[in-house]
Amino acid sequence: MKIDSSLPLEYSTEENRLKIFGFWVFLGAEIVLFATLFTVYFTLQTRTGSGPNGAEIFELTPVLWETFLLLTSSFTIGLGVHAMRIGNKKAMMAFFIITLLLGLGFLGIEIDEFVTYVEEGATIQTSAFLSALMTLLGTHGLHVTFGFFWGVAILIQVASRGLNPQTANKAFIFSLYWHFLDVVWIFIFSFVYLKGLIS
Amino acid sequence: MKELFPKQHVMGFGFSLLLTVVALAVIKFDMSFNMAFAVLLVTALAQATVQLVLFMHIGESEDKKTLYTTILYSVFVGVVTIIGTLFAMIWGYN
Amino acid sequence: MSMEEVFHPMQEPMILAAAISIVVGAVVIVAGLTYFKKWGYFYKNWLSTVDHKKIGIMYIATALLMLFRGGIDALLMRAQTAVPDNGLLDAQHYNEIFTTHGLLMILFMAMPFVIGLMNIVIPLQIGARDVAFPRLNAVSFWLFAAGCGLLNLSFIIGGSPDAGWTAYFPLAGTEFSPSVGNNYYSLALQLSGIGTLMTGVNFIATIIKMRAPGMTLMKMPMFTWSILITNVIIVFAFPVLTVALALMMLDRQFGTQFFAMQNGGMDMLWANLFWVWGHPEVYIVILPAFGIFSEIIATFARKNLYGYKSMVMSMVVISLLSFLVWAHHFYTMGHGVMVNSVFSITTMAIAVPTGVKIFNWLLTMRHGKIQFTTPMLYALGFIPIFTIGGVTGVMLAMASADYQYHNTMFLVAHFHYVLIPGTVFGVLAGYHYWWPKMFGFRLNEKLGKAAFWFIAICFNVTFFPLFILGLDGYARRMYTYSESTGYGPLNMLSFIGGIGLAVGFALIVYNIYYSWKHMPRNEKADVWDGRTLEWATHSPVPEYNFAVVPTVTRLDEFWFAKKEGRDITAGKIEKIHMPNNTGTPFWMSGFFFLAAFFAVFNLWIPAIISMIGVFGFMIHRSFEKDHGRYISVEEVMATEKSLRGDK
Repeated sequence: MKIDSSLPLEYSTEENRLKIFGFWVFLGAEIVLFATLFTVYFTLQTRTGSGPNGAEIFELTPVLWETFLLLTSSFTIGLGVHAMRIGNKKAMMAFFIITLLLGLGFLGIEIDEFVTYVEEGATIQTSAFLSALMTLLGTHGLHVTFGFFWGVAILIQVASRGLNPQTANKAFIFSLYWHFLDVVWIFIFSFVYLKGLIS
Repeated sequence: MKELFPKQHVMGFGFSLLLTVVALAVIKFDMSFNMAFAVLLVTALAQATVQLVLFMHIGESEDKKTLYTTILYSVFVGVVTIIGTLFAMIWGYN
Repeated sequence: MSMEEVFHPMQEPMILAAAISIVVGAVVIVAGLTYFKKWGYFYKNWLSTVDHKKIGIMYIATALLMLFRGGIDALLMRAQTAVPDNGLLDAQHYNEIFTTHGLLMILFMAMPFVIGLMNIVIPLQIGARDVAFPRLNAVSFWLFAAGCGLLNLSFIIGGSPDAGWTAYFPLAGTEFSPSVGNNYYSLALQLSGIGTLMTGVNFIATIIKMRAPGMTLMKMPMFTWSILITNVIIVFAFPVLTVALALMMLDRQFGTQFFAMQNGGMDMLWANLFWVWGHPEVYIVILPAFGIFSEIIATFARKNLYGYKSMVMSMVVISLLSFLVWAHHFYTMGHGVMVNSVFSITTMAIAVPTGVKIFNWLLTMRHGKIQFTTPMLYALGFIPIFTIGGVTGVMLAMASADYQYHNTMFLVAHFHYVLIPGTVFGVLAGYHYWWPKMFGFRLNEKLGKAAFWFIAICFNVTFFPLFILGLDGYARRMYTYSESTGYGPLNMLSFIGGIGLAVGFALIVYNIYYSWKHMPRNEKADVWDGRTLEWATHSPVPEYNFAVVPTVTRLDEFWFAKKEGRDITAGKIEKIHMPNNTGTPFWMSGFFFLAAFFAVFNLWIPAIISMIGVFGFMIHRSFEKDHGRYISVEEVMATEKSLRGDK
């Protein structure tokens, strides 16, 4: 494989550039996927049947923590990619580990949130609103979970194989995925929780 | 150490935190629904742009035009799906 | 679910016979492979291939098989409705058959045929050696095969879906469809849908990033343009289906309330989401056909395609508008005038770019020297017959008029008039046209033309009466009607046409067998005197496609190179990097199939274990260090020498 050393490692081969490009196209598809989940949520938002509405179950504090954790993890993975580009493998791995731990923290709070809802009698089966809410949040959470395991696999490869065009490419693509999940969360935070807490 | 924390990233992070706090205004202050919606939309779109441009480096490769087109197209389809569905199923319903 | 419920379909003699023949067929194939010691060959060359050409052939072979099964469904329906008060099929069976017919024909015949052709042709037309992500390409095929296999299994184990290919709620919910049929629907379509989405990503990357040097976007062949636009639509439409099917599964199997009739559910939301995907889907199947016709008409009129820029623009406009028209599929669902008006306008607007294309094809033929080959006959038949489908579409587009036409046979006739003369003629034309490139011999022209005439004429005999019946008030999806309605004679005429169609399709299949046995091999590589790059390489195509990637300076570079006496494949041969075959896509899809199968029957533990298998293969893939291999210069030269006799 021809290596173009004028470009960052993750872009340095033609195959690498193809993979990054392909992943961006995939993110376009993911945007539509989450847009559809938002569509379902907005349509069924007020259809609470005999169950509670958003304002009755949302709690701002854990949501703010989730937002802060995910936002910070997006920052740390950005620092990780930057460290990778200046060739600092140790710093890159440290930032990636912090990112994944923050992600785990996010998931912990979200699971606790769901358990609380269920204990309050608000389950995914209770009403159309709750089905839509938990499916939207749950899909995002599943993406974060899948991302966690993907990130671990990449860390193992970077640790054992070092930073080369292939591992750098995977790490960069993973960072795109992780940033994307934060973008989705921003919209969830604004249009599910904040909007729900106004009304 | 300083080279591990590039200015763009730190500023981007700070700006995102700020936008999150600004968004909180819709529940801390009394405002009309339209105003609240506008605040949420502006802050969310601004944060999304920060992510795309500063963190994901959408404009750094030779494919940037195609990538912007892809994101634009997907946002178009997403918005049409959301608004079209709300129109057909709720607002436009007899 | 009890064993009795699982196997109840086999109480029907016809289904039991089908089940036995499937088992017998499978045994014969396994025995044959074992006896002729072909397992190694089969696994190495087909099950683990990542070659776009082989993957394309597998897609098309599956599509032809599904055409056969979907066609039998159609004949059964036509036979049942040929006379009033017929007792051939009861209502339940009729429902299962029209559901299966729709699902198979659209998702497991038209889609794989189109995707198969794009797999075979696109890398060749753009001068590339394979697609951008060859292993992902194999995953796409095997996921499609898993979904296809799953749906086909349903009619012998557990029961077919029976709520129509559109599976509207509340009918498709567990209250009114308690058997597992619609679980098969949500899971089989989900599997193959993921495969299709991967194809979308793959081909956009391929076309945008892997074109031959000098081939700018506006110098691409029109088929390549049509495939680029098609894959853009795929990438942005299929996620909607993914969500809709997941919600269906959640409602049916996990008690959620999305489309329920209580607890706040909104049953009509399903129809809305389905068609947000469903309308772009019909453009996904028609745009490739338009691209194929563009190639064929230009080649066999011996003229360049008229209006290249407007052809491209019209497809771009179609792709954008296709996301803006979906509510025309349910004008009568009860929403207000404003909604219907907006969607009527967008729907009528989308007819315009297609009209532009029809005129461009006609102008291409004007002053051309027409060669009436089999592919050209399909293109010539397409233009008038498809136009009938198109203009009846504009009739349907008007919401107030649609209150009369909706869900009558008028609608059924309309969509068959666009799907068959459009997509089916297109893929049949394409498969005749590119067959020599893949196999090094032509399909027999006499048989090909005979098949065309049977199909083209009998298609009209089958479906034109349906327009009249629809206007007379005959609704769709009705298993029978009484004699006093007077629908009998035209239905009988339609049935006779259907038999003629069956003869035509049988001739197509027979043509494969006959040509294999009798047609001369060593057909020349540029058998039609074509315009585009795929004709510049050998027939059959070597693994690496081109020994030397051509440089392109203009549209139809190969055509002009021939005129000017240049060989665009001349150049220095270098070693060629190719990906290695891998069995992972096949095995991973196998585990996915199992997971989905167990999920259909709510057997969650086995389903989860199977999914762990899927993830295992993903992790294996992540840690994989296989970077392919090189074909040496000597090997390329030797292959070229042995193939050069074909030129």
